Amino acid sequence: MSFVWRKRWFVLLFPLLLAITFWQIKVETDLNAFFTATDDEDSRLLAGLLKSGELSRRYLLVVEKTEPAPAAGTSAGDTSISVAALSARLVTQLAKLDDVEQVWPADQPPRDWVDAVASYAPYHPRLFSLNPETDAPELFDPSQLAAKADGLKQALLSPQGSFVKAIAKQDPLLLSLNGFKALQSQFQQQAKLGSGGALILQSRPAALDSEAQTRLQAAIHANFDSLNAEAGGVFKLSMAGVPVFSVAAQSEISQDVTLVSVVSSLAVALVFLFLFHSFSALHWVMMVQGASFVLGTLATALVFPQVHSLTLALGASLIGISSDYPIHVMVHCAKHRNTPLSAVRLLWPSLLMGGLTTVIGYGALGFTGFPGFEQIAVFALASIIASLGLTRWVLPALLTNSSLHSAHLPGIAAWVDFCGKHRKILLGLFAVGVVLAGLCLPQIRWMDDMQKLAVDMDLLKQQDAAVRSHFSSIEPGRFVLIQADDWETALQRSEAAERRLQSLKQAGVVSEYHGLFPWLVSAQLQAENAKFYQGVTTPAFQQAWQAGLAKAGLSVEKLGNLLPAAPEPLLPENVMASSVRHILSGQIVTGQTGVMLSLWLGEHDPDKLIAGLAGLEGTRYFSQKDQLDHLASKYRDRSLVMLGIGIGVMALFIWLQQRDMRKVLLTLLPSLASVLFIFATWALMGEEVSFLHVIGLLLSVSLCVDYGIFFIENRGKDADVTYHAIASSTLTTIASFGALGLGKTPTLPILALSVSLGVTLGFLLCPLLIQKPTNK
Amino acid sequence: MTIKRVLFLLLALFPIAGFADDAVLAELLARIRQTGQAQFSYEETRILELAAEPWHGQGVMLSAADGSLVKLQLQPTRVIMAITDQRMLYWDPQQNQRHNAALDSAGPAGEQIKVFRTILQGRADELQTSYDISAEKQGKQWTLRMTPKPELTADALPAIEIAGDDKDEQRRILIKQADGESTEYRMQKASEAQQQEYSLQRLLLEASGE
Repeated sequence: MSFVWRKRWFVLLFPLLLAITFWQIKVETDLNAFFTATDDEDSRLLAGLLKSGELSRRYLLVVEKTEPAPAAGTSAGDTSISVAALSARLVTQLAKLDDVEQVWPADQPPRDWVDAVASYAPYHPRLFSLNPETDAPELFDPSQLAAKADGLKQALLSPQGSFVKAIAKQDPLLLSLNGFKALQSQFQQQAKLGSGGALILQSRPAALDSEAQTRLQAAIHANFDSLNAEAGGVFKLSMAGVPVFSVAAQSEISQDVTLVSVVSSLAVALVFLFLFHSFSALHWVMMVQGASFVLGTLATALVFPQVHSLTLALGASLIGISSDYPIHVMVHCAKHRNTPLSAVRLLWPSLLMGGLTTVIGYGALGFTGFPGFEQIAVFALASIIASLGLTRWVLPALLTNSSLHSAHLPGIAAWVDFCGKHRKILLGLFAVGVVLAGLCLPQIRWMDDMQKLAVDMDLLKQQDAAVRSHFSSIEPGRFVLIQADDWETALQRSEAAERRLQSLKQAGVVSEYHGLFPWLVSAQLQAENAKFYQGVTTPAFQQAWQAGLAKAGLSVEKLGNLLPAAPEPLLPENVMASSVRHILSGQIVTGQTGVMLSLWLGEHDPDKLIAGLAGLEGTRYFSQKDQLDHLASKYRDRSLVMLGIGIGVMALFIWLQQRDMRKVLLTLLPSLASVLFIFATWALMGEEVSFLHVIGLLLSVSLCVDYGIFFIENRGKDADVTYHAIASSTLTTIASFGALGLGKTPTLPILALSVSLGVTLGFLLCPLLIQKPTNK
Repeated sequence: MTIKRVLFLLLALFPIAGFADDAVLAELLARIRQTGQAQFSYEETRILELAAEPWHGQGVMLSAADGSLVKLQLQPTRVIMAITDQRMLYWDPQQNQRHNAALDSAGPAGEQIKVFRTILQGRADELQTSYDISAEKQGKQWTLRMTPKPELTADALPAIEIAGDDKDEQRRILIKQADGESTEYRMQKASEAQQQEYSLQRLLLEASGE
């Protein structure tokens, strides 16, 4: 095809490709999806909990009165209104929002919970106690029946009268309420804590659906502001919960993506202009890089259901890498006055091998287990192949009329000469450096806390702690996990764990816990309860109860008949098909196999709790933080392995091309040495090294190897020109990766530092470790 | 729940004296809004579905201009029930039962109380959307009947009947639930000496457990 038509096709297809990509792409901002591996059951559990767990969808809201009152002139409303009154109005308003599933004052259960409790009355003989053997003597003490009847009368006369009446008609001894005492005490504890300003809001969208959560948070604030204005502006609203963090993180990441993309593109453009003094060439090369970026995005969008915004941010840095290929062509063009076509033909084997090693590096990245990096690997593969292809077949057509002037980079030739002249001394120093660096390696501090890689939100954390102080504390990230193959076994295990937790609570090891009894009760425990019930509700017992009712002035006819236990147990499948499913949805964890139940914990001592649960089959303590830390260590190990494998595969491909082991080693040596020196520097500085640091170095190796390939092959037969081309590539790589350093998400500066250091050192070591090729 | 409705009614409708038409009702509601601190002694008779016989109680009721209301039951046992600050308080020392809940989250009971709050605030328009109001006067005796509108029966609003005489010394308030339960109050204004005996604020603190 002629150059003219290649150019026309490119100009025509590029916007079309862009349109298809926009149509196809779904961008995800969920950090969790980027960071959390889902290749084992625990990781999947963790990812699921973070993504859609009931607790994760909850906001904790606190309305407080501000002191002192606002300045004169700003208050025009009713300033006598109390916190409780304003909170009550806010609950009414918020309940109307589409994104709100439920909102309720923290000190009392939502209405559907109360209705759900009442629905258990017919099953009272089967679920009145977790420990029927211990509790039955007191619950069925015949001498207490008169007092029980009197208590029932008082309950019927109390504000809870209509609720109690509905239960008493089916369960006159109110046995079913015995199991729910713990639930009642949770709300009573909360009532002691606050002045009525603590509210819980359950959102419909998942916590990490930041778009919906942003909308909801704005609506919450708007409703509050309007009520507060009416009340004279004397109140303030604080908010906490996972969605608050997810929205803040999303906002930070969005800013990072924009900043990195813009700065990276500008920096590469500026470096390019500095190198070639040609707007025309810049325009065409940027179009080639743009097309590579779009192809990478499209490939990722086709392979994965959603493209993460961090993939796009890191992908933007690839602009700097994939511009290496056109830059090499253009430097040779400018220095040797070649046509772009002859330059690209000359350099093609080196470009291909360079591209291959970079792809290997990114491919290895995809196998580190980091879900986000799987995307980046696909992105890199597609965009590097696209960049290579466009450089080979389209760029010469685009540059036909461009005039190129390659800038002379000061110091480049001098450094090459200096290395040549003092090679022996420098190599000696290098050898000493290698030994010293090797000795430093054992001092490396590995980062084991994954939290350090999250966006820094100290202010938000302080606010979160302040808000949580208004609520009785159930920790969303740590719980007791019960696993079994079937419901019955899982429930029996859960009940055994709850009995232990009862003892641990009495011993002060855990402040409180939210179990599943009596919402879900094993058939075994139901049978045990029913057996006790049948055993004690003898005719004599019934007569004593009736006498108590008569004495209290209650209807013997309506309350005196104690019904036998229902023949069939209350099955968990039926419970989960009812509205109770919503109440327990945060505690029933869907695993790939079997049943997983979680018992939520208040403040606790993890070690004593773990010891207290020892010996219970299928029961263990689960901590999201520990799990994340475990993942951090797993990622680190994998990334080190992939660093090794990546280097091995690169070596193999270079050997296949060169068939010379010395050349293979020389090609790899600058990048390997730079990795060693960087690790040693981090060890000396006490830098905590995470898997991201290792991944950054893996990338730098894949880039530096290109320099070795170009330098050794020296296809232009001019070592100065080749090293100039490498220097230009290094500059664009640093410009693009350096832009990542501006990001607030810690992942980005770590990668920026690792890659920039790696390529700079690798570039400097090239002429030292690889003898300057002769200009043939 | 019945008790709470009655508490509001007692205060809200105590001054009503035989008016039946909307104009008179509006005038009465305006007077209700101006109701300041007041105290009454009462006798209560409740007919419960699950009780074999009517239940009797007696005590005092105290109200404040801000809408706070305390019902102090003295017989047969001491029980405090109060409404203040959009919250409902209940304290039964003998059973050691204490409740403290937002009115808006108190389910049907809370919904019904809102009706009485509406009465207290004299919002006749809102009241007339839920109730048909009729009045009857025979000699010195008068009766005001509030019947839930037929289309609102699903909301289970109670029917309310308030009766009194020209002297305004005694009132009888009858509340009939949709499920057949009923509560009757016979109330009398407290004397000066009786009014010194109880403090609304102290009773509120006791009920809230502070």
